Amino acid sequence: MDDVATIAFYLGVITYSVAATLFFLELARKDGDAARAQWAPRLLALGGALHAVHVLTASLLSHVCPIDSMHFALSFSALIAVGAYLALRERLRLSALGAFIAPIALTFLVGAQFVGQSSEAAVGVSRTLLMFHIAANVLGIGLFLIAGAAGSVYLLQERRLRTKKRVASLGSRLPPLDSLDTTSHRLLLAGFPLLTFGVVTGAVFSHQLSNLSGAESLRSLLGYATWILLAAVLVLRKTAGFSGRKAAYGTIAGVLCMLLVLLMYVVRSGSNL
Amino acid sequence: MIVVVGLSHRTAPIAVREKLVLEAADLPDFLRALVQRPEVGEALLVSTCNRVELVAAGRSGFDSDLGQVAQACVAALAAHSPGIAPHLYSHVGGAAVRHLFRVAASLDSMVLGEPQILGQVKEAYEVARKAGTVGSVLHRTLPRAIRAAKRVRTDTAIGSGQVSVPSVAVDLAREIFGDLSGHSALLVGSGEMAEAVARLLKVGGAAVVVVGRTLSRAEELANAVGGSARPWSALQQSLVEADVVVTSTSAPHFVVDYEMVSAVRRARRGKNQFFIDLAVPRDVEPRIETLDGEFLYNIDDLSKVVSDSLSTRTREAASAEAIIGREAEGYDRWADAEQATPTIVQLRTRLSSALEEELGRSLRGRLKHLPETDRAAILKMLESSVNRLLHQPTIRLRQAALERSPDGLSLEQLSAAISELFSFDAEAEAASAPENALPEADVDADNSGLSLAPEARVVASRS
Repeated sequence: MDDVATIAFYLGVITYSVAATLFFLELARKDGDAARAQWAPRLLALGGALHAVHVLTASLLSHVCPIDSMHFALSFSALIAVGAYLALRERLRLSALGAFIAPIALTFLVGAQFVGQSSEAAVGVSRTLLMFHIAANVLGIGLFLIAGAAGSVYLLQERRLRTKKRVASLGSRLPPLDSLDTTSHRLLLAGFPLLTFGVVTGAVFSHQLSNLSGAESLRSLLGYATWILLAAVLVLRKTAGFSGRKAAYGTIAGVLCMLLVLLMYVVRSGSNL
Repeated sequence: MIVVVGLSHRTAPIAVREKLVLEAADLPDFLRALVQRPEVGEALLVSTCNRVELVAAGRSGFDSDLGQVAQACVAALAAHSPGIAPHLYSHVGGAAVRHLFRVAASLDSMVLGEPQILGQVKEAYEVARKAGTVGSVLHRTLPRAIRAAKRVRTDTAIGSGQVSVPSVAVDLAREIFGDLSGHSALLVGSGEMAEAVARLLKVGGAAVVVVGRTLSRAEELANAVGGSARPWSALQQSLVEADVVVTSTSAPHFVVDYEMVSAVRRARRGKNQFFIDLAVPRDVEPRIETLDGEFLYNIDDLSKVVSDSLSTRTREAASAEAIIGREAEGYDRWADAEQATPTIVQLRTRLSSALEEELGRSLRGRLKHLPETDRAAILKMLESSVNRLLHQPTIRLRQAALERSPDGLSLEQLSAAISELFSFDAEAEAASAPENALPEADVDADNSGLSLAPEARVVASRS
């Protein structure tokens, strides 16, 4: 089974890389290529399948539940982002988001290798609560990754339409602004309760652990910052008609904070290796 | 091979083109009358607002005298519409094939890369097929033309972008709002182009409101585009409701200014809004572009997009021409190889007939005791023998047709030698019409119950 996990990992890396390249080429080329446009999401789906095989076989090998360890949680959140993207892309004309999702999935698949594989339950922390904490975060991260990608593509598309450059050549390959804005908003709405649960349970853990290191404190602070930024975006959307470019910037800022938290997990695990 | 005779925007002004009008209901009769002429065996007519072209082939398939076919087509068109003859062009043989492929691929269209022409070519083929004026040559040529055109569309960006200002404007609206149904459009003022944009927005599903300084004029326009009219005093409120605003007034100053849009934006709670300013002097103050969620394209911006699309198409035309060149070459090679078919069919018919005759005689005489299964087995053996005997000559004849090498024997020389050796001259007429060349099986007439199936012969002859 070790071989299966390894082969699935390398094939997943290759497939994600090719998919990401095809998505970028599709956007970078002056004129669309229908064949390439069809192959990129197919390869992303194949990469997702290989990714899933890798996560399942590797977790079975190490006797760790995928949602009981940061290593698999990271990997799993990218899988959720890939699945959600594939489910939404046709309906909301979001194909171009693949240029963000494929590299993110690749980064998470590879990046997870630098996070320790063992269960991370600390002494004095409820293991059940920790599992729920990680599961909520995994789902939330997956949804926020797409929301961040939608916000980024919104800014690209908005800039293109404003500067009136490449209007003829890029055509309809970028999603409509309203679709991107709606997608980003809905995903934030769906992910925010999960994030809230993750932040609250994280605060409980911090309280239970008597001596937090400086890095752990910073990680908690970034977690709170993520929550505050995304909450602000949702509240301002509701109350002040905060949408479009400003909402995209707010969403991206929140997602970047979230990614910094994840990066700190990687750095911490890397330093322990 | 084929001929193409007709006129187009390149050779005839509209005053001439409009003389050559063939009603759809009259077309089958026109085509049937044309193929009644002794020179023409097959015909179809491609008719668009920019061209009318007859595509025809002779009665002798690929061996027809194409010059005579072309003359007959010219005469038919000139008889139908007197005065057009000086504007008619004709392409013959390879040039006609190339022209047909270019037409189907929209390389000869007034708007390069426009997608309608391929459908019109398909329709012309279908009409002629139903009229019964398509034979073996056009049945093999039109699908190749359609395939070449599809390759051009999929392998190049010849059809990329929009090439008219109204289409570009509506495409941009779709890039902001996606599906336009459920969205509202406001038309301020009037004008041909503004009306065209409003119509396209309406077709796209948007609800159209027209605001004009003269209500009666606004109502007239609203009726024309399928929208509703409002007085000028309702402009501000209409702006709040509109996602797409098309302006085309003759006002010498801005009709929609920065302050107005700032107030509208607050009322719209930040929802995106797209202004299409088609007026000169401009109706919308350019400064509104600095507001978040407000997009403005004036006539110059839209014309630039059209120009970029046309440049892209022109650039892609070179690749498209290369594809057409390769497809036309493939057709030429296939048509050359087809020239060997009559000789091959004659040879096969002669051999099969001789064997069938001998077999029939034996089956009525010394072998009459044979059961059906044995008779069938002998027949199959004879078929295989014919195929084996003719395999090498078939390949050699097709090679001679394809290569046309000055060093080796030409197809004509080989055909003449075979014809001389087997005395085909008496059957020349039958041989020139391959689909009719296969005679009734003699063996059937002898009631032997066995024959070498013609279908099997034809298939084998192309192996």
